Amino acid sequence: MFRIYPRMLTFLAVAAMVLMAVGQYAIWFYAPEEMTMGLVQKIFYFHLPLAWWCFVAFFGVFAASVMVLWTGKEKWDVLAGVLAEAGVLFSGLALITGSIWGRAAWNTWWTWDPRLSTTLVMWFVYSGYLVLRAADAGGAKGARMRAVLGIVAFVDVPLVFLSARLWRSIHPAVLASRSGGLEPEMWTTVWINLLAWGALFAALVLARYHGAGFARRVEAALVRIQEKTLQ
Amino acid sequence: MTAPWLAIAAKDLRLAFAGGQGPVQAVLLGLLLVFIFSLSAAPGEHFSPQQAMAIFWLCSSFAVVLIFSLLFRFEEENDTATALLLSPLPVQGLWLGKTLAGLALLALCQVFFFPAALVFLGLDPGGSLGGLALMALGVDLGLCILGGLIGAMGHGQGAKDALLTIIVFPLQVPLLLGGIRIGVGLMQGVPMADLGEWFGLVLAFDAVFSGAALFLFPHVFRGE
Repeated sequence: MFRIYPRMLTFLAVAAMVLMAVGQYAIWFYAPEEMTMGLVQKIFYFHLPLAWWCFVAFFGVFAASVMVLWTGKEKWDVLAGVLAEAGVLFSGLALITGSIWGRAAWNTWWTWDPRLSTTLVMWFVYSGYLVLRAADAGGAKGARMRAVLGIVAFVDVPLVFLSARLWRSIHPAVLASRSGGLEPEMWTTVWINLLAWGALFAALVLARYHGAGFARRVEAALVRIQEKTLQ
Repeated sequence: MTAPWLAIAAKDLRLAFAGGQGPVQAVLLGLLLVFIFSLSAAPGEHFSPQQAMAIFWLCSSFAVVLIFSLLFRFEEENDTATALLLSPLPVQGLWLGKTLAGLALLALCQVFFFPAALVFLGLDPGGSLGGLALMALGVDLGLCILGGLIGAMGHGQGAKDALLTIIVFPLQVPLLLGGIRIGVGLMQGVPMADLGEWFGLVLAFDAVFSGAALFLFPHVFRGE
């Protein structure tokens, strides 16, 4: 049975709204403008949280898929689905914002790079995963099939990253360097926006999870009505 | 006595060639792809080694999908999946047998793809045929390991098994990239030792997906 958490959803939605407002203020009025790139650099405050949370979402799909195989409970299958939806949305937005930034910084919309390539391949894999879910591929064995795909997809990610890294890389490693070349105000803005997008991500996932739960309750009720009608 | 997984592979190969067909569908599709790509070059113009290698691996990638669809269709047509599951053969042995049969059929397809790429795409192997064969073995193994797992998922799905291709191709990316880079390097005379990282990547893919398939195949290919 699906549990519904309306209070938690309200709290997350309000938190996301407040944090987003604070985050936007920090981006446009608090964080200093970067010397070389100017205003375009501010895309970074959207791009980084989107990329981080999409990785969290895909790891979540993996973990939920393992739980499907382990426990066989339907709720984990539903959770994997909603996490994949959020992950595809966030990774798509991360790719678009990254591409706009790349055009300004590297004078190209796209280039072979480990992070870019990994994110694009992940986007393809999980978009395919969502298409298969929507098509109800697997029939009676569907949940197990989807769980296997969710695990295989995540196992592939490090290999895609390695392959693209061997090819070549020009993506800036902000967090790998000691200060990342960021001013303290910039770091504060990054963390606020990470939290804001995290709250929005959690609210979206919970809202979709509730939606899926209600859909299943309605389906179960319809089956019961049909059975009574036939009797 | 033949190992059970070898018996499965031999059975599948016998069935594949029983009607005199073999992997004809996969071979024809690959040849057609090579020919269509060759039309994109002007007369007398040659493809770069990178383009030629990419087309070669694209053909192989499509062939894998058709081959494993064929191999798992045997169990469906003959309704033998339940019998295999009830047999004392470990279910992973079934995956191994299918993977081996797929590997043999894919290698056979590539026997046709390679000369086609030489003729139509101007692919020039130089003196690196041994290295290319080693590379093909490593990449083919990975393609078939994944094919054996995903092919089992398509079993019993009817027309929906075609949908699985949208997830198979992105999953193959590291392998295909490895195949292209090693192939190009060898054709350009780069020593094998300098391509070690790419060979390592291909072997890592083979190992990771073998582990995943051994664990996941019993969840995919099972009775209800």
